[in-house]
Amino acid sequence: MEGEKAKLNELREKIKEAKLKNQDINIANNQPSPVGKAMKLAVEIVAALAIGIAIGFLLDDFLETRPLFIIVFFLLGSFAGILNVFRVAKSMQNN
Amino acid sequence: MSSEKTPNLIDPIHQFVIEKIADIHIGGIDISFTNSSQFMVISTLAIMFFFIIGLSKRSIVPNKFQMLCELSYDFIANLLRTNVGEQGRAFFPFVFSLFMFVFFCNLIGLIPYAFTVTSHFIVTFAFAGFIFIGVTVLGFIKNGFGYLRMFFPSGVPLYMAPVIIPIEIISYLSKPISLSVRLCANMLAGHSIIKIFAGFIVMMGFFGIIPLAGLVAIYALELFIAFLQAYIFTILTCIYLNDALHPHH
Repeated sequence: MEGEKAKLNELREKIKEAKLKNQDINIANNQPSPVGKAMKLAVEIVAALAIGIAIGFLLDDFLETRPLFIIVFFLLGSFAGILNVFRVAKSMQNN
Repeated sequence: MSSEKTPNLIDPIHQFVIEKIADIHIGGIDISFTNSSQFMVISTLAIMFFFIIGLSKRSIVPNKFQMLCELSYDFIANLLRTNVGEQGRAFFPFVFSLFMFVFFCNLIGLIPYAFTVTSHFIVTFAFAGFIFIGVTVLGFIKNGFGYLRMFFPSGVPLYMAPVIIPIEIISYLSKPISLSVRLCANMLAGHSIIKIFAGFIVMMGFFGIIPLAGLVAIYALELFIAFLQAYIFTILTCIYLNDALHPHH
C-alpha cells in the first residue's frame, strides 16, 4: 500500500512536469489552418443563402407569388450570411 | 481515351456509392440495411470494445489502453466545462457519445475498402438537425418565451424589427447546415483526393513513387482531419448548448 502511494505521488509529479512542457505546444496546435478558416467563412455565407432561398421558394410555392418571396429572402439570406461571417470573424479575432 | 480502356481504374466517387445489403421494406418505407448502416454498426461495436477492453482492469496506475479511455473522457469533460460550464455536466453522455461516434466513423472510413459514413451529407445533416432541434427545445424549456428575444438584439431601434428578425431567424436556421456541411465536405474532399492520388500511382508506372510519397503525407493529414472535424463538430455542439442555456441578448 505504501509503495503504491509513493508510486502515485511520483506519477503525479511527472504528469505535472509533462503538462507544463506541453502547454505551449497545445496552444499552437489549437489554431485552425488558414484554409480551414476560409472554408468556415465560405460555408457560413452559403448556408445562410441556401436557407433564405429555401424559405422564399417554399413561401412562393405556398402563396403562388413566384418570384416575389424568392427575391426578398435571397436578399435577407445574403444579409444573414454576411452577419454570420461577421460574427465568426469576430470570434476568430478574439481568439 | 484512356478512360474508355480502363473504366473503373480512377473513379474517385465510386467509394461513396450506397449498396443495399439486406432489402427491408416496412409499410412502403425503404429501411434497407446498407453498407452505410453496416459501418455505423461497426463503429458502434468498435467504440464498445474499445471501452470494454480498456476499462476491464480499472487499475489505479492505468495501462496504455485504459489511459486512452480516460484521456477521451477527460478531453470531452474539459471541453464541456470550458464551453458550457457546470450546467453542461448533464449533457456529458450525449456529447461524449456524439464525439466518439463521429470520430470512429471518420477513423474507420480511412481503412482501405471501408465506407465513410460521415461523407454523406444526409448523415451529418441528421446529426446536426437532431442537435439543432434538441438545443432549440432546451432553450425554450430553460428560458420560456424569453428565448425568442435573441432574434431581436437589444439596442436596435424598433423600426428595424421587420428586417432584423427575419435575418436573425435565417442566421439561426443556417447553423445546422454549416455544421453538417463542414464535416461532410471535409471527409468527401479528403477521400476523393486520396483516391485520385492513388490513381496517379498506377498511371505513372515507375514514377508513381512520387504520388506514393504524397499519398503517405495526405494520409497523415487525413488522420488529423478525422480527429479535427470530430472535435469541431463537438465543440460547436457545446457552443450551441451554451447559447441555449445562457442566452445573451
